[in-house]
Amino acid sequence: MSVDLMKLKEILAMVQKPARYLGNEWNACLKDHREAGMRMVFAFPDLYEVGMSNQGLKILYESVNSRPGMLMERVFAPAADMEDLMREKGLPLFALESREPLSRFDVIGFSLQYELSYTNVLNMLDLAGIPLYHHKRSETDPLIIGGGPCSFNPEPLAPFFDLFVIGESEEFLPVLLDTMTELRMENPGKKELLARLSGLDGVYVPSLYEPVYDQGLLAGMEKLDPRAPGTIRKHYVSDLDCAPYPTAPVVPYIQTVHDRAVVELFRGCGRGCRFCQAGYIFRPVRRRSSENIVSTARELIAGTGYDEISLSSLSSTDYPGLDALICELDNSLSDGRVKCSLPSLRLDSYSVSLADRVHRGRRSSLTFAPEAATERLRKVIKKNISEKDIFTAVADAVEAGWQGFKFYFMVGLPTETVEDVEAIVSLCRRLRQHFKQQAGRALKISVSVSTFVPKAHTPFQWEPQLPLAEVIERQQLLRRGFGKIAGFDFSWHEAGASLLEAVFARGDRTLAPLLERAWQLGCRFDGWSEHFSFDLWQKAFRELEIEPGRYAYRRFNYDDYLPWDHLDCGVDKELLIREHREALAR
Amino acid sequence: MERLCFSFARTMPLAYISHLDMMRLFLRALRRSNLPLAYSQGYNPHPRLTLALPLPVGVTASEELGEIFFAEAVSPEDFISILGSQLPASLELTGAGRLSPESTSLAARVCAALYRVFVSDEPDRGTQYLLLRGALDKLMSREEILMERKSKKKKITFINVRPYILKAEIIYKEGRPLELSLLLKAGSSGGVSPFFIIEQLKMEAGSGLMDASSWHVHREKLYTGQNGSLQPLPERM
Repeated sequence: MSVDLMKLKEILAMVQKPARYLGNEWNACLKDHREAGMRMVFAFPDLYEVGMSNQGLKILYESVNSRPGMLMERVFAPAADMEDLMREKGLPLFALESREPLSRFDVIGFSLQYELSYTNVLNMLDLAGIPLYHHKRSETDPLIIGGGPCSFNPEPLAPFFDLFVIGESEEFLPVLLDTMTELRMENPGKKELLARLSGLDGVYVPSLYEPVYDQGLLAGMEKLDPRAPGTIRKHYVSDLDCAPYPTAPVVPYIQTVHDRAVVELFRGCGRGCRFCQAGYIFRPVRRRSSENIVSTARELIAGTGYDEISLSSLSSTDYPGLDALICELDNSLSDGRVKCSLPSLRLDSYSVSLADRVHRGRRSSLTFAPEAATERLRKVIKKNISEKDIFTAVADAVEAGWQGFKFYFMVGLPTETVEDVEAIVSLCRRLRQHFKQQAGRALKISVSVSTFVPKAHTPFQWEPQLPLAEVIERQQLLRRGFGKIAGFDFSWHEAGASLLEAVFARGDRTLAPLLERAWQLGCRFDGWSEHFSFDLWQKAFRELEIEPGRYAYRRFNYDDYLPWDHLDCGVDKELLIREHREALAR
Repeated sequence: MERLCFSFARTMPLAYISHLDMMRLFLRALRRSNLPLAYSQGYNPHPRLTLALPLPVGVTASEELGEIFFAEAVSPEDFISILGSQLPASLELTGAGRLSPESTSLAARVCAALYRVFVSDEPDRGTQYLLLRGALDKLMSREEILMERKSKKKKITFINVRPYILKAEIIYKEGRPLELSLLLKAGSSGGVSPFFIIEQLKMEAGSGLMDASSWHVHREKLYTGQNGSLQPLPERM
């Protein structure tokens, strides 16, 4: 029995953007539930517009739905107005395709992209009428599984999940679902099923491990079942050209954050910036062949009707032969009516010349991420660009007609001093003065400053986050600095939110009750500044007598047991230690 | 250069998307269909597609109008079958015809629209009918119904929309849902939304008496022509 359409219509008339909850989009896939042995919902713990911009969703939707015997539907976090009405009318959370309640599916797979979406995970389980803790769920409740970048340290979520898939799952997920179908025929019961699944590479079943604490600090993970591996190795796709990739992804009716076709040039990044988790967990670098890119792009445009295609990766201008590729795409995509776009530009002349080529006539602003304003600090984080590179890249861009620039910086980086922070203002001021004449008028520069969050599996995983008070001090220093100069648009991240991100990025299972309490107090959409309430979180911390600094500000030693030490992302700890030592020597 | 006009019906659940979403939907369907789109001149060329009189979110419709230019000849029959195969089930092409490239755009000539408002039966039909009857009589007997309007400079002015209600009837028949039929002036020379009229009716009935949240609005037809001599559209399909 799917959700009553009349009841839904009544609600939809009263909410903002009802199309978020409609499904039925072009290329949406509604399979017959009676013919699928395994029915899964891909659950994205943020709004439809955000989730539908996620390439992982589109890839997995294709990889599961293209197989017989299994199906995947979608669900997103309902906005506050929808949540209120659903609770008021007793409407359970339902999947968009069939409008079946989530509780009737076999597997619910959460995409864990960002620590600040964790309260939404709990809220979605609750709206689905599914008990939050795995030990409270029955044999008939769906299996709750998770994947995505945050599953590289899923410990704060461990008590809520049955299983995590570590690494890239487009090839593995159908195998996992098939294995489940097979094993389930023997009726082994959930506990035994999970124990057997734990033998598969890349599968982490948290209930099979018991954390061992020594004087309140995590000292190791004890295996509760001999079948569970000591360390779980991540999955990765060895050849992108052979891996499933959607050429007819769902085309939303309403505008999403990234409303365009996407073709992935390569996965991983060879730059090795020391703060960047994606740069480590997506190793090694794997290229899609240019023939495959061109044919994929062509099929994508034919299958979706988009007029823009994004050539995506962590550092697109590093793709060898990108020049020739763009030429070829220009020629082969419907008489040049389809535009290409390049995310993540590096600060060099080559990148600017490419941007100039692909952005013909759409010259809004160029975004660069120097991350740090002094050459010393850039060397610490291994963002190897010189001040000369920055000035040359901006000069080329001004020459090509750009007048607006957006720069991303961070505060709180390891070894950062007040001088490094002040240098952000002075660098931007010098850039503007220097190019005033060349541009004929002052450049429009917007500066966005985020707070450094140490992440698992990076060389900075041992580093503490800069304490909240000092982060705020440094932000104020910047505000004063930019306030004195007219024409700068300066924005910064809420310091409390970054603290929370660090707590969960470095935390362990002791944080699960805190997460539950914060959710009970009403925390939702913590990554959205208009919803984030630091007061509520502080209340939760106080009530449970948890000190956030214990997680965010702790400096780990090299021989400390880290909460993610049992998960192997394929990078040697020795390499991380070497990189960390080298960073601190700068 | 080929210029076609076409009519389409929009049903649930697609009624929940905005005019901009509708434009995007049509453009993407057109690109998928590989029909030879004609593009506008200029720095940022775009396909030449117009949808007359934006449909409000939540409103279904029987006969909406669109116009499109193609670079090469496309027959109305091919247009319907080729584009139709790229449209979702709740959007149906109901007709198409050729327009001479010089004639005034149909979209610009739309001057009225007929709406059917399906009124809820709660708490019961008789009570709803009487409430609605009373409210409508009061509203129609007014000489002025003022609607607030903000100019581009955010200056607030009031316009009298009473003359924009060309016809208002209640259909109260056994075996049919209670219905309010509204013929309203629309288009570039001024018009009024059915939702504004419903709001006014609620006020006339006394707040709290009528709950219009579950009423459904449907646009039946668009008209061209001068006051008094309305021509139903599309004329030549």
